[in-house]
Amino acid sequence: MDAITTQHKLSNEEIFTILKSFITEVIGEEFVEDMDISRESSFTRDLEMDSIEIVSFSEKVKSHFGEHIDFTGWLSSMDLDQLINLKLDDIINYIETCQSSK
Amino acid sequence: MPVIQVKNKSVHIQELNKGARETVVLVHGMFSNLSVYYFNIAPVLAQSFHVVMYDMKSHGMSERCEYGYDLLSMTDDLRDLLDALHLKSVYLAGYSYGGLVAMKMAMRYPSRVKKLAVIEAPDPSDNETLSIIDIYSKEFLVDYINNYTDTTRMRMGKRQLDKNHRMYEYLFYETSIKEDMHNERFFFADDAIGNIAHDTLLIYGKSSNCLPSGRKLYHTVPRSKMTLIEGDHNLPIQQPLETANKLKDFFVGWQVKFKQINHKLWQALRLSYHH
Repeated sequence: MDAITTQHKLSNEEIFTILKSFITEVIGEEFVEDMDISRESSFTRDLEMDSIEIVSFSEKVKSHFGEHIDFTGWLSSMDLDQLINLKLDDIINYIETCQSSK
Repeated sequence: MPVIQVKNKSVHIQELNKGARETVVLVHGMFSNLSVYYFNIAPVLAQSFHVVMYDMKSHGMSERCEYGYDLLSMTDDLRDLLDALHLKSVYLAGYSYGGLVAMKMAMRYPSRVKKLAVIEAPDPSDNETLSIIDIYSKEFLVDYINNYTDTTRMRMGKRQLDKNHRMYEYLFYETSIKEDMHNERFFFADDAIGNIAHDTLLIYGKSSNCLPSGRKLYHTVPRSKMTLIEGDHNLPIQQPLETANKLKDFFVGWQVKFKQINHKLWQALRLSYHH
């Protein structure tokens, strides 16, 4: 039974691909074409996302990864500087940590 | 993305801790959106309350609308939202122009507001907002954003600048916002403000140019108390945790805390009795 209920843990690369698709949905394909979205991309500086776009992105992360991660809780523990400097890689690592501690 | 229909208009809302007994509703300011609360303030309040945030018409991800930016229409919108969410009475907080909306709500529908919190609400008669609308241009926006960047450390790139410029152009030239806000310039002289019977918390920044407005309200609203936090008008961005904790303590109130302590004491007594 356990084998059936245990969810497949996503690899680092798979998480990166999912998050990239969320960013594309939020800011629109026409803008993403000119961008090089990497793990080192920061949300505000490199991707130029504003706060309401980060809200949309957070909602997508929450609805995709569900109750296994407290994404809003994690974000709320950060101060403004940390939020501004938040990189894609930080989120990938956070999701990976949540998956392994399930 | 929770976008709900309220009176045939799409309204973007966000909710936390659904199912909690009491609800806090947060109203953002003009030219802003619910993200001012989403990251830090709402999660703190959600430790004790069901929290509802919404984007005003033409703001954030809510539907655009040509009319209805006066306080009557804005409180109609809020009443309709409460109806749609089946919320009879809520703890209400508003920031900047949203603070005026929250006050107007308490004046028009007192039974739907349990307690009122007003953050950095300006006196519309001496506020710079109206002059900003008159002199608006893209160059002005760049200046304004540079200043905002200095005080909040938020940066803005070209795509964001264009996005904001489109929002301002729409609001200023294609909606009634200018006229509607102008018509509210005597709001602080409304006698009904002196009849607000709710416990009211006024939160202002120590170096805010809206501080004199806060003092006026403190002298007019009978059951008001005022609390000052380091910062200027951008207080919720500059001091989100302190703002959130002030709101939470005010909404929870000493009566509730007293009950909680009492409940724990009784539990402890009962346990010791059974042992």
